[in-house]
Amino acid sequence: MPEQLSVFELVANASLLVQLVMASLLLASVFSWVMIFQRWFYLRRVQNSVDEFEEYFWSGIDLRAFYTELEGHDELTGIEGMFVAGFKEYTRLSEQSGAEPESIMQGVQRVMRVALNREEEKLEKHLAFLATVGSTSPYVGLFGTVWGIMNSFRSLANMSQATLASVAPGISEALVATAMGLFAAIPAVIGYNRFSARVEVLMKRYDAFCDEFSSVLHRAAHAKR
Amino acid sequence: MIETARQYMLPLLFALLLHALAVTALRVGWQPDSTKVREIKPQIVMSKLIVMEPKPAPKARPKPAAPKPAASRPAPAKPKPVPEPKPKPVEAKPDPRAEEAARLAAQQERDREAAERAASLAALSNRAFEDALISEDQELAANAGEADNAAAQTYRAGIYQRIVDNWSRPPSARNGMEVELQVELVPTGDVVAVTVLRGSGNLAFDQSAESAVRKARRFEVPKESRLFEQRFRRFILLFRPEDLLR
Repeated sequence: MPEQLSVFELVANASLLVQLVMASLLLASVFSWVMIFQRWFYLRRVQNSVDEFEEYFWSGIDLRAFYTELEGHDELTGIEGMFVAGFKEYTRLSEQSGAEPESIMQGVQRVMRVALNREEEKLEKHLAFLATVGSTSPYVGLFGTVWGIMNSFRSLANMSQATLASVAPGISEALVATAMGLFAAIPAVIGYNRFSARVEVLMKRYDAFCDEFSSVLHRAAHAKR
Repeated sequence: MIETARQYMLPLLFALLLHALAVTALRVGWQPDSTKVREIKPQIVMSKLIVMEPKPAPKARPKPAAPKPAASRPAPAKPKPVPEPKPKPVEAKPDPRAEEAARLAAQQERDREAAERAASLAALSNRAFEDALISEDQELAANAGEADNAAAQTYRAGIYQRIVDNWSRPPSARNGMEVELQVELVPTGDVVAVTVLRGSGNLAFDQSAESAVRKARRFEVPKESRLFEQRFRRFILLFRPEDLLR
């Protein structure tokens, strides 16, 4: 009775192309997990800061004091950055003499939209990578499997006496590639779906904040006049 | 730069840890499966052919040698009764009484002699049989060395495997069914006869086993004629497939 084949022996005995496929899948899996963890931490941090900020913002504090406090920070999370950019633009424009409230509001909204876009880009970073891994790695794995099975059947054709034992290792080895493809794809797809849903929720909150903040500034601009 | 490195260090660590965990799980988790694999051992019963031919030879020899006092007497006595009654009627024809007495005496003597002879023969044949058995056992034990056993075992396993390969399982076959087949081979390994010695009770199963042997047609047998004659000329095979559905 021969020793039981371990997965590692199977991988070591695989053909070069299948090994390459396996290596790329392993790499894809590692990278997608890095992205998953990174996004996870990042989005959690952003969510917390948004909660904190909104609570603070609507607590009825003086916006100018809040602005000066935030401006001193190096690291501004999304919603804080939007607030700072919008408020800076507002003060700059309203200090200019003869500025129309409408034009002030247009400038503020433009700046805030830019900040919003930049923020969206930041939130959605790496999600495209996860989507790519999730959708392509099963196919890559399948390719490795088909190639491996093809080879093992071809070598089977050259044998005079075909037994199950002579094909089984080749097929098993080829199937490892599919297993790895799925191993890489499943977390990537789950991560992509989960994170894109969270990004969408965050973006909605940003949008809402933008509107609310610009209405506050709108009121202030008209009151000044 | 340092910022991004810091951002990705922890996720990278986690990702690598996760993969290392998966790999070790695979390495550890792979093992228990292998112990569950049931090994199917060939179940073969070899018949010991007790050859009856050598027995008459030893029997004939000890007959005059060992039990001489018993055997030598009847031997010369036997022809006596034959000529005894013969000459008597010729000589003493006119005396019917004497003739009758003599005949009676002869008859009695004959009976006694016959009984004696039968008893001695029985004792003789018993002893001869036992002797033959013992000598054969000794011979077998002496001849069947370890090497022979090992060689025969591999051939037996090969034969069993061939039968299993050629066997098509009837739907009514169940685990635990066994059938005893007697297989006769010629030195080339060709099957010349298969008979069911003891069936499993399931006719389809018995027939499937028998036809598997017939389909195999030829087995790998030892080239050495002594080993072949001893163990493969005619042997009993216990066919008991264990990989059946319950």
